[in-house]
Amino acid sequence: MSSPSLVRQPTESKTSATTVELAPPTSAPVIDPVTLRVLAGRWFRLNRERMRAMLIGVISLVAFLIVWHLLTKYRVVFFVRFTNVPSPLAVYASFTKAIHDPKFLLHVLLSCRRIIFGFSLAALFAVPLGLVMGRFKLIHEIVFPVSEVLRPIPAIAWVPMAIMLWPTNEQSIVFITFLGSFFPILVNTLHGMSLVDPVLVRAARCLGAKEASIFREVYFPASLPHIFTGLTVGMGVAWVSLIAAEMISGQYGIGYFTWEAYSLVQYADIALGMIAIGVLGLLSSLLIRSAGKLAMPWGRT
Amino acid sequence: MSLIEAKTAQGHIEVKNFALSYETIDGSVAAVTDTQIQVKPGEFVSIVGPSGCGKSTLLNAVAGFLKPTAGTVTVDGEEVKGPSAERGMVFQQYSLFPWKTVRENVEFGLKMRGMERSRRERAARTLLGIAGLEAFEKHYPDRLSGGMKQRVGIVRALATGPKVLLLDEPFGALDAQTRVIMQQILTNMWQRLKISVLFVTHDIDEAIFLSDRVYCMTARPGSIKAEIPIPLERPRQQSMMMSSEFLGLRRGLMSLIREESLKAMGGEISDLGMQGLNIDLHGQSLADVL
Repeated sequence: MSSPSLVRQPTESKTSATTVELAPPTSAPVIDPVTLRVLAGRWFRLNRERMRAMLIGVISLVAFLIVWHLLTKYRVVFFVRFTNVPSPLAVYASFTKAIHDPKFLLHVLLSCRRIIFGFSLAALFAVPLGLVMGRFKLIHEIVFPVSEVLRPIPAIAWVPMAIMLWPTNEQSIVFITFLGSFFPILVNTLHGMSLVDPVLVRAARCLGAKEASIFREVYFPASLPHIFTGLTVGMGVAWVSLIAAEMISGQYGIGYFTWEAYSLVQYADIALGMIAIGVLGLLSSLLIRSAGKLAMPWGRT
Repeated sequence: MSLIEAKTAQGHIEVKNFALSYETIDGSVAAVTDTQIQVKPGEFVSIVGPSGCGKSTLLNAVAGFLKPTAGTVTVDGEEVKGPSAERGMVFQQYSLFPWKTVRENVEFGLKMRGMERSRRERAARTLLGIAGLEAFEKHYPDRLSGGMKQRVGIVRALATGPKVLLLDEPFGALDAQTRVIMQQILTNMWQRLKISVLFVTHDIDEAIFLSDRVYCMTARPGSIKAEIPIPLERPRQQSMMMSSEFLGLRRGLMSLIREESLKAMGGEISDLGMQGLNIDLHGQSLADVL
């Protein structure tokens, strides 16, 4: 099966190459159906692994939904009680209702806004602080002990303090989100700085680079991979902190929505809230990963 | 004659009464002691010696990364106070910036000097053309072979037009074939640019093939054991490495270094090694025999 296609391939590509040469760009090249088939075959062969993974992924997700459905349909009680757990269909029904409900969208939007503010502020403070701490010993010696004392405190433990510190509820929630992502970003930036190859710094020096240029041209790009690791981890912790803060002290937000659903005995909405949180978390980490790819085109893909 | 001298006297390296020691908890440890070397303008000089003899230390002091504990390092009569683009350096580990393309790497020194983008792009392209790398200008170093990376490294060091080129075992990580080609490329560039070169290596053949003069260093603490002029004519061909003249130089240098290497390993260890060659275990463990 493979041998005829192997023989055909080179001749196909050769003819198509000559057509391009002969025909000026004004006339659209006529795509031979045979070529199309060969191309499709080649594409399939190159992407076989990815398609396989995707297919298995889809099957696995469908299986998960079926198991969930069966567990709730027969109200299984086996250590864990599925008596009150909403079925996937019920959750879907509440989803279709929610997307037309401006209040639900407001919850989602407000959570996103808090994440954007809290996380961006954390990145804006933690990255430069980490870079400066990694470069200047004195600043490291001053800041590091304080950060080591504050770092182990979970952001949620800051909730009472945050309420006292900030005049509005909104500000204290953003503050909690900020704290959650601040330390992972700081620690990873510092780690990146400590791993910068000293030979690269020396190379820059004997090419005439001064302190500011070395910082910009060597230390910063060299630390970028770790900075992005920090941003990814920080984004995850930002969501954890946000949801916890919203459940405790919020009035709006997807965390509050989920907790409220429990209080109001709207069980389908609990699962809907959870899934929404999961999807938002996934999207935001995808966003950071693609930003990382844009910022570091030299990395292996 | 003095007029010509004055005109071309660029890149005259002088190292006088040089010593460098490190402070450790056990007191100071001498890495290099009482060393004099010089590289005349346009000369190609190599330093060879057993590993750990301080030849890289010496080179780093000329580059300006290390301060001598005693003595002076001057280039054209001016004391070396720190690294500068006047002394280009090529490292064994290539040390290209992974986040910069080949061309951006080559441009780096010019950018630091404040040259505008279009001019430095043109300069970098020309240099890459000489090194046969124009097709790779947009590649990231990650994608290049070792030999290509080091060609970029050399071109990058030369881009700013330094008076002196310092190379620290630049071809140590390359395979034998690539190494020979790189030696030829380096020789070509050196002859074209008439630049002074100080080359550190542990490869004796390489030192002889490339240099006008070779310094051989003693075991740690390093100092100059011998200075060997290499009277081989230029341009040098690969075939010269089989000539009796070359082999004679090689034999001489080899025995000098061997002496020092044995000294560096410590007398007792070398004796043990000799014994070991004749040991017949007769079913006993090695520990019993010794």
